[in-house]
Amino acid sequence: MPPSLAADDITALILRVSLKDRAAFDRLYSATSAKLFGVCLRVLKNRAEAEEAVQEVFVKIWLRADRFAVTGQSPMSWLIAIARYHAIDRLRGRHAPAETIDDTALELRDPAPGPEAAAIAAGEQRQLDNCLNELELDRAAAVRGAYLDGDSYADLAERHGVPLNTMRTWLRRSLMRLKECLER
Amino acid sequence: MSIAEPDRPDDGGDDIFAAEFVLGVLPVPQQAAAARLAETDPAFARLVIAWEDRLFPLADGYDPAALPPAVKAALDRRLFGAPVQAARPRWWQSLGLWRATTGLATAALLVVLALPYAAPPPPAADLPRLMASLAADASDVRYMALFEPERNRVGLARVSGTPGAGQDFELWLIRGSDAPVSLGVLPSEAQAYLSVTAETRALIEAGALLAISLEPTGGSPTGQPTGAVVAAGDLRGI
Repeated sequence: MPPSLAADDITALILRVSLKDRAAFDRLYSATSAKLFGVCLRVLKNRAEAEEAVQEVFVKIWLRADRFAVTGQSPMSWLIAIARYHAIDRLRGRHAPAETIDDTALELRDPAPGPEAAAIAAGEQRQLDNCLNELELDRAAAVRGAYLDGDSYADLAERHGVPLNTMRTWLRRSLMRLKECLER
Repeated sequence: MSIAEPDRPDDGGDDIFAAEFVLGVLPVPQQAAAARLAETDPAFARLVIAWEDRLFPLADGYDPAALPPAVKAALDRRLFGAPVQAARPRWWQSLGLWRATTGLATAALLVVLALPYAAPPPPAADLPRLMASLAADASDVRYMALFEPERNRVGLARVSGTPGAGQDFELWLIRGSDAPVSLGVLPSEAQAYLSVTAETRALIEAGALLAISLEPTGGSPTGQPTGAVVAAGDLRGI
């Protein structure tokens, strides 16, 4: 891992990339590609596919950097979002022809958290953790599983052994409770 | 909310729809519908951004993983075309070395030494025709572009997508880290030709990127893209 850059530095790089500055793009890649590859790898669980996906993620970053400024987001939040949507779309694309959930069961991974990512503020981290802890264990696990592994409602329903509609109700309630908790 | 979305769930409201989209749990058609809505509906986009930020601390659970250098090389090829060749030694560098090692600097020899490095490559007799397929995941705008050097023009065929009222598509040529060069505003016809000036023509080469941005009617007022890039693609030899 290269030394992690402060959020302001990454913001500056993304703004320069929006002006098609290739040197900035190279630096943004060295600073963030390991994390974004981590996203693709975790969701896709296949190294070759994740390597392909992370390239596509950086193509999007190159093409969409001009939109970053208007979101008002922290740069890592914006970058992670691009990587997650892309990896999840790819995952679903891979699954789509099968149409059945049974054939597509993924190996379970230990959901232990990884090393700290410098760009995530400790305070926000703690607050979200506290709010997740207010949820029932399995519901918090469903939220984490969906976020980190890209589980769909169908995947989650199967994993937790509940009907799809039940899972949808669970998760929706959990999300709203999370939001309320974070706004307290 | 003004846009009718058949895939939009009628229960739970937009906030929960945004949350489900960000989490990525929706079935494929609804996930795609939400992605489109986030592009077109600013209020929905704000809900999405709020959920992305709310859940972002969970991203701490993604372990960074090192990428092999070949991936960056492949990415650069994809975005920028062929890698830049290692710079040849400049003729004066060769000269310095030569003088240092031999001490025999005659004008005639210098010319002989310098020429292979200094002479520009002969201009290509006929430039190849190039094509590009222009698209972007987040938009439905798709064009095929064909550069015809013998006619000094870029032909464009619309596959899908039109600009909204009060807007135009503008075509840009982007080479490496250079500032985009406008090739002009796209006529509204499904098939159109933009003529290329000699100056611009010299910049068009395989690996350069063509991009379409959304601009106010008549094109960018600044000479550089001001709106979102709605489609892009590399120029490739046919």
